[in-house]
Amino acid sequence: MLVNSRRRDNIRGLLFSALLSTVSLAFCADIPQTRLQSTTLRETSQFTYYWQTTPVGETAQLLTLFRGASEPNRDRAADMPLVTVLRDTLGDKNPENDRVSYVWLLSYVRPNLGQRLLSAVPFFYWRVTDGPKSLNEHGAAPLLNVTAPQHPVVSEIGRNILQWTMLDPMTTPVRATSRAYRSNESDDERLHLEEAINYLRNAPVGDKDSELTEVQLDTILARLELRKRLLGGFVSERRAAQLGQEDGFEQERIRSRNWELLRQCAEKTGLLFEPLNLGGREGQYAVVWFPLGQAFESSGASLTPIWKLLNLKNPWDDARLKQWHGRVYERSLDENGSLLPPGATGSQPVRLVPLGVYSLNYPRLPLLLVDFRDTLHVRRHEMTQRTINEITSGVIGISHFTNWYYYVAADLYDFIKARHGAAMNQAARLDCYSQFRVELALDHSLDPVLREQMRHYVHSLAINPLQGSPDREIELAKTRFALLQADAQEDGDLAAQLDKDRRAELAEFGENRRARILGDVLHEISFGLYTHRVRQQPDEIAALDRDRRIRYQLSFLDSLADAGTQPEIAYDSSHIHAALIELSDLMAGVKSPTLRAHVGSTVARVRELSRDTALQADCSQALVAVNGQEKPSTAAVSSGLAASTNTVASVGASLDAHK
Amino acid sequence: MSRVFALFCIIFSFGARPAISQSQATPIAPTPARRIVILKIDGLNADLLYGTMRSRDPVTGKSLLPWFSHLFAENGVVFENFYTRGISLSAPSWSMLDTGRHSIIRGNVEYDRFTGHVYDYLNFFPFYIGYARSRHVDMPGVEVLDRAGIPLLSDRFEYDQRFQGFQLYQRGVRWHTLEHVLEHRFSSKVLVSMLESAGAPSLDQLLAEETEGELKKSLRNPEILYLDFFTGDMDHEGHATNDPAALLHALRQLDALVGRIWTAIEESSTARETLFVAVSDHGMNNVPSIFSESFSLPDFLNRQQGGAHHVITNRHQLSEFKLMGLNPMVQRVTNPSTASFYLKGEAAHYPTAWLDLDGNERASVHLRNSDLNKIHILLLELARPDLQKTIRRAAAACLRETIDRHRAAWSETAAELDQEMTALKKVIEERKKAVLNLPKKWTAEQLARGEDKAARRLADELDDWQQEQTEYSGYALRLRALLALQDDPEHPFRQRVSDYIPEHSLGENNSVAQIEHYVVGPGVEGFVLDTDGRVDEEKSFRYVNYFSVLADQRVRNNPQPALSARPIDFSAMRVPDDRYDPAIDSPVHAYWLYASEDAQLLILQDDGGRIAVKPIQRLVQGADGKVHWSPQEWRRGLPLHLFEDAQLHVPENPDRAAWLSEWHTERDWLGAVHMSQYSNGVIGITEQFSPFPPDIPGPQGIDPILLRYERRRRELVQPDFEVFAADHWNFNVRNFNPGGNHGGFFRISTHSVWMMSGAGLQARTISEPCDSLSFASTLLSLAGRVPSMPSAR
Repeated sequence: MLVNSRRRDNIRGLLFSALLSTVSLAFCADIPQTRLQSTTLRETSQFTYYWQTTPVGETAQLLTLFRGASEPNRDRAADMPLVTVLRDTLGDKNPENDRVSYVWLLSYVRPNLGQRLLSAVPFFYWRVTDGPKSLNEHGAAPLLNVTAPQHPVVSEIGRNILQWTMLDPMTTPVRATSRAYRSNESDDERLHLEEAINYLRNAPVGDKDSELTEVQLDTILARLELRKRLLGGFVSERRAAQLGQEDGFEQERIRSRNWELLRQCAEKTGLLFEPLNLGGREGQYAVVWFPLGQAFESSGASLTPIWKLLNLKNPWDDARLKQWHGRVYERSLDENGSLLPPGATGSQPVRLVPLGVYSLNYPRLPLLLVDFRDTLHVRRHEMTQRTINEITSGVIGISHFTNWYYYVAADLYDFIKARHGAAMNQAARLDCYSQFRVELALDHSLDPVLREQMRHYVHSLAINPLQGSPDREIELAKTRFALLQADAQEDGDLAAQLDKDRRAELAEFGENRRARILGDVLHEISFGLYTHRVRQQPDEIAALDRDRRIRYQLSFLDSLADAGTQPEIAYDSSHIHAALIELSDLMAGVKSPTLRAHVGSTVARVRELSRDTALQADCSQALVAVNGQEKPSTAAVSSGLAASTNTVASVGASLDAHK
Repeated sequence: MSRVFALFCIIFSFGARPAISQSQATPIAPTPARRIVILKIDGLNADLLYGTMRSRDPVTGKSLLPWFSHLFAENGVVFENFYTRGISLSAPSWSMLDTGRHSIIRGNVEYDRFTGHVYDYLNFFPFYIGYARSRHVDMPGVEVLDRAGIPLLSDRFEYDQRFQGFQLYQRGVRWHTLEHVLEHRFSSKVLVSMLESAGAPSLDQLLAEETEGELKKSLRNPEILYLDFFTGDMDHEGHATNDPAALLHALRQLDALVGRIWTAIEESSTARETLFVAVSDHGMNNVPSIFSESFSLPDFLNRQQGGAHHVITNRHQLSEFKLMGLNPMVQRVTNPSTASFYLKGEAAHYPTAWLDLDGNERASVHLRNSDLNKIHILLLELARPDLQKTIRRAAAACLRETIDRHRAAWSETAAELDQEMTALKKVIEERKKAVLNLPKKWTAEQLARGEDKAARRLADELDDWQQEQTEYSGYALRLRALLALQDDPEHPFRQRVSDYIPEHSLGENNSVAQIEHYVVGPGVEGFVLDTDGRVDEEKSFRYVNYFSVLADQRVRNNPQPALSARPIDFSAMRVPDDRYDPAIDSPVHAYWLYASEDAQLLILQDDGGRIAVKPIQRLVQGADGKVHWSPQEWRRGLPLHLFEDAQLHVPENPDRAAWLSEWHTERDWLGAVHMSQYSNGVIGITEQFSPFPPDIPGPQGIDPILLRYERRRRELVQPDFEVFAADHWNFNVRNFNPGGNHGGFFRISTHSVWMMSGAGLQARTISEPCDSLSFASTLLSLAGRVPSMPSAR
């Protein structure tokens, strides 16, 4: 079972009884290459991202995001599979009834028992191994099920309750080990969620069969992002798609702001700022250089706050730099003293020492990832914060409930430190680190010596025993992709899982909120053994097709109604007309009173808003089809509020009668 | 022909058209606009909006901005070439749009050179606090306009006929709006959203939602004839990012707002008589894939090369990384220099450079009068007990000579200030009595008529007068003390410097000569005497020529090839009216633009408002106070880059160079330059740097002495000079605006939005250029009311 394995694994993890089994690679022995279908490209400066589809039976497909070098005659076998998504298409070309469900991060390797045991040791901040060398039986478990985002939330809440009520009151060793394990596990999951997000941000979108639509990609991105937040799984699907889009805008705002902040700081301090193109992504990172043998004109203002922001010691006072024995890079400056690209010849040569590499994706300021003068600088900061957390919550047992004042004081301290330019958000730091480690592992464009220097420093940042080496994870991604392709065969696990999911979807359709919550609770308290599903039926695909198209058209009409303005101004009338006709037809077979009421009120609202008599008539006809009785189109004879009030009242009455 | 009449003719030149949408089947007769609804959009660039309106969305089959397109492009009037007049900044631009008068507010923050008083036009928080404490009724910009006797567009409607949104030129605060916002902030919906980490709406969003709700409610009341709604979302987004997708997202939200407001208008009983207007105050220099980079003027002025000034800004630098940056009441921040030549440790008392950086693409620079610096240095030197006698005597003589050079002007200033303070004292006494007689409680009818606010306005003004009287009297006291200074040349100066040189004061504006030869500290070798035993002023003081030093600035960290390494485009200042060579066509005013010693322009304006532009080089001010320069031929590389601009539209005969140097009306200039890179910069310079007095009529019946006082107060906020940033550079130091900026004269920064729909207007696109001075008067004319300013200056 591909999907439930993750939940079960969580339970095992909680009870420290993770079972390991040997990895079987038999599935990947004979993957038919002929199954690979069309591709869609998106190019960055050095890499091409494209989707590759693999059919799952005749009614679904796996879309795998690949990254390859952008040379046209490259060897495609060297391209790297990154993320796979399952899209249930019901076997047609109509995107309206598609549903995206599972997301696999192909480089995600489940930690082995040794790693898990070490992760439960308090104050143990070292990565001992590179991670498993092969995939275990749960190697094909997805990172997230987009269609059931609430399940991990409920599970997480349960585990928190278990921790607070049962484990925390026990002895210090139990509390400390359980908290250390959970903290490491949570960080490891976040690391990989961010990795998947990072890859998907480069993914091409479109309306072709071979790629995700923009809404689908936004929804996946939002779900992955929301998975990092405690109650994020409860956010509605429509809101999630919006959040995915807005999150992308926010990322760009942050990046451009940090770019400018770091450039300004470099200018104030006499250093040289250079954006880095790492792993094909432009301007996500930057390096700050120290020009050897140059004088710095005394600034007229105190630079202490700027050094704090840069998280560096003042290099102009650093005696080591005056007699630097480390690596020095020969570059050129132009007539204005600006740094020229590597290899370019300018008006004066300059010898540079790299001081720091920064991520520009940290929310408030450029985050120092590598301090070339102090290997342990960044690591020390991470370890200190982890140690304080483990002492307070694991050893002393300070609780958020009984010792809330401690956490208020700690938050206040963090706030003040952050106002002075410190990066206090541990989770956001982890996200930046997650992006950087993989980008660096995949990069082939940097100066090899500089890249090797960076890798050396980045390895020192691995303080989670559950974490594997990025190189190892990347090696295993192809194996994992092969496993998934094997699962996609007609007799594979995916088809069976798809069938179960479809039956659950059919059962959920038209359910009211109370029934849905009850179903979720039963699912969770039975550890996933119970899921509300309909029985297998021959017309399953047809029923799903109807339900999904109803959802699609209703969502479209809801957006028109929510806008509160004339719908025919925002959309071509023929588009709305088609939606109304299709919805009317599809609703004929629907019995759910909740859904009929929803459709009735939405269509009535659209009619009320419209000034187009033909569209109003369409709405009236749709209402007749939905409510089973004719309603006069009042809006056609008198416009304005009076008409709409009548309409709403009559629809309300009819819904009551229907109930 | 007046500008308003001309626009009026253009708008109605094709007669009436049927009202849109609501009754397509029943054309209505042309109806004068009884009601005006204005959507005020801060920082929306016209090219971005119009381009997006023209783009089709394949999903919807309509325009990407369907409501803008439907209401204005298809059924309304679009002014394709509408420009900010003057600098493209919010406070000055909205003041012109909101009054229809020449701007007397010329920055987002202004400083009184004598008293250091800060006019902070963008900060709402002190206003809210002041309103709650019954200290203020109106935003600072409105108070300035009231004192100058300039009414707002909304003032043309009775108090109970208007609904005003939250904005820069706001009268009063609707507390219930803010109460509802706070209630919503803690509503279950918002709290759930916060718990889900799903992006709970910000206070700004909630305020916008609440105000929109109130606007819709007010639209249902037919007695309300003026309504406006202000949104700053586009401006914020344009500053924050140049991501086209994010900007499109913000535009679509704005489009939806337009649709909702129009829907509410249509549902109102006065829909047919309602004129719906969308206007923006300025554009935004926001270009995809180019980040706007900042050059720090405070850093430059802090350094020895820049004069080692203690610098005043209105906000903290990098405010997000300072605890003090949280202070919402902040108006004046001192940025001390660690390199100061003679004022070490005196930053809190003697900041000598004051900056308005809120301009982004432009900064106004106020420097303490160079001779005050010299006097300060001399007094500090004279206070030294170890000073050689010969040097002491020479320094005392130098001090006397310096004071004597200003004796006539300072005596006149002190005498006039005395007169004005006497007149002010008289009105203060009268106002005190009037305020005492004001009712303490108000009936519902009086409240509905706004009488309580009118009364509070009187009390607030009284408070301001009293404070001003103290501050200006203090300045005059020190000025007289300085004039009366009798230093003993044989003994150290033992009095306090602050008794002679007021703290937090800059004194009178610097002349061209002073800016070119500005005293920043004592000489490297201290005081040096010449062969006559006099202070050798060249060796005894350090000087900075700000025009050339600023022009020479280079930025090292400039990774974008699209940006020049020179962050400063040009500096500009007004040449005092009686100081230039009268041989050139007797202009009334002259404005000087400096890009380098060899690349300068003089923009001249005559008493009929005509403008001529002369290319010059090496302008200097001689010892006689007259400015002299060398003329040069028109060529590439001069400020504003007019000569080489392919979009400059001038007649073929005479040639381009001749046309540029000749006198032309404003209208001719606008027609010629509006499509060029600097659009209406030539006119903008005259607007920004023109003398204030003609534009300040004063309240009706004001005492002439007090009118002079009001005009003086405005003249005192005039900076020494303004610095304009090169393309894609900005001067923001408070936070970061990598997306884009505005403030300068670039077409992309000044090209603004003006569109109208409803009330019998015919659909048409007007391509003739116009500027923000035409806006309010045209609306008032369309509403059948007296225009603010029927003819151009």
